[in-house]
Amino acid sequence: MTNPPTPPIDLQRYVDEAAAAIGLSIAPQDMPAVVAIFANLARVAAPLMEFPLPADIEPSPVFIAGGR
Amino acid sequence: MAGVIDIAAAVRAGRITAVDATRASLDRIRVHDSSINAFTAVVADRALAAAARVDDLVQSGRDPGPLAGVSFAVKNLFDIEGITTIAGSRIDAALPPAARDATLVARLESAGAVLVGALNMDEYAFGFSTQNSHYGPTRNPHDVSRIAGGSSGGSAAAVAADLVPMSLGSDTNGSIRVPAALCGVFGLKPTYGRLSRAGTRLFASSFDHVGPFARSVGDIAAVYDALQGPDPTDPVCAGRPVEPVASVLHQGMDGLRVALAAGYFTNAGHPEVFAAAEKAASALGVVRHVNLPEPALARAAAMIITASEGGELHLADLKAQAASFDPMTRPLFLSGTVVPAVWYVRAQRFRRWYCRELEALFRDVDVILAPATPYPAFPIGQRMMEVDGRQLPAAGHLGVFTQPLSFAGLPVLAAPIAGAGPLPLGLQIIAAPWREDLALRVAAAGEAAGVLAPPPVKF
Repeated sequence: MTNPPTPPIDLQRYVDEAAAAIGLSIAPQDMPAVVAIFANLARVAAPLMEFPLPADIEPSPVFIAGGR
Repeated sequence: MAGVIDIAAAVRAGRITAVDATRASLDRIRVHDSSINAFTAVVADRALAAAARVDDLVQSGRDPGPLAGVSFAVKNLFDIEGITTIAGSRIDAALPPAARDATLVARLESAGAVLVGALNMDEYAFGFSTQNSHYGPTRNPHDVSRIAGGSSGGSAAAVAADLVPMSLGSDTNGSIRVPAALCGVFGLKPTYGRLSRAGTRLFASSFDHVGPFARSVGDIAAVYDALQGPDPTDPVCAGRPVEPVASVLHQGMDGLRVALAAGYFTNAGHPEVFAAAEKAASALGVVRHVNLPEPALARAAAMIITASEGGELHLADLKAQAASFDPMTRPLFLSGTVVPAVWYVRAQRFRRWYCRELEALFRDVDVILAPATPYPAFPIGQRMMEVDGRQLPAAGHLGVFTQPLSFAGLPVLAAPIAGAGPLPLGLQIIAAPWREDLALRVAAAGEAAGVLAPPPVKF
């Protein structure tokens, strides 16, 4: 967990546009904190996305067809 | 006040009445809660009526239940019939009162226990510090200038300060284990799917667990046994039969393969935490060390799933009234709404891989020990914490050692390390899925050896 490298994309723009796409407006005063938290998620997601997971590893949702 | 087992035994034998035991708890809440701010509601009338029913059963020679007359309180995300379930929020305070009790509240009362109130938490359970901007911070009974931990901070502080002998909380990423450790009490996060969550406000359903707090291993086992059992109204509750643990505690550690977690669990914390865990393990005769598979990725995946599920759950309110959220949680929920789907699905698939690896690890070891938090309770209001020369978010980093374990749904008991230092520190006692009994046996051995015990509270 060293200092995060310069993000490859403009995270503030991503957060703004992704929020707009779901009809969410983030107040300007909230934006710095939201972008900082999202940047941390992006940092920890990077090695997870690189991890070589076999294709036959499925998620484990609790789903019972027709049930409850 | 005495503990769960002692109070129940005295009430069942008619040595004290449940009404007197309940009054003692209500008195302590009235005198001391202003110092720690653990309670957000006290239900004195309901409690005294329930206690009177217990006394009627005792006087008429009928069985009042294994927890007869024992006071308890619940994190305010558990439904209590007749009052509004606020889940630490101002938004939910506008909802109508709950129509019925949560399953676990009803289960404890049917065992003879007496509900006395609801307890403070981080808003919607998204936090590790119970610095709630709406209802005020819960203060640590060992030093009221410091946090109690969270998000079940009220649940831990109320038990540590002896306002009640037992309580209930919830744990998604560490929200039972972190406050239990920082307040110096026992907190059990059972296997994911073991206990019913019906009638609780969910946070991130993939990881939401509920569980008890108490001040001894015997006490927490007694509560846990009363909480078990299937519940078709919680789709995650696995429907397993009751598998009592109180009756196996005496077996101790004999025949169990126990190891201390290495690598990841010996970094990114303050030295006294690792020294205390090593000392406790050594006192228990534990010499083995094991590495967990990719715990840093497990924590990353837990963060992504939690943010995403929490963000989606609260999206409507984030759109309509974001300003009504606690400033501590608002940016966390907002950032969760824009997590890319590929991160979320990858995190869920990684979870399956991780569980398979852990299954292999648990063929070779029965119980794993690890520190509960990277440092003891910090002063209320502190934002950053220095760890190995880096400045990290003080509250957010508290889950570094708990998140990789709840991610796999493993049963974990957080236990207070005796003589850890001026502030409490906790040890996580971790077992394979559905083997709460093994974790509790190790804890009982540690308690008997004087290695695990709640530090005394000064007020």
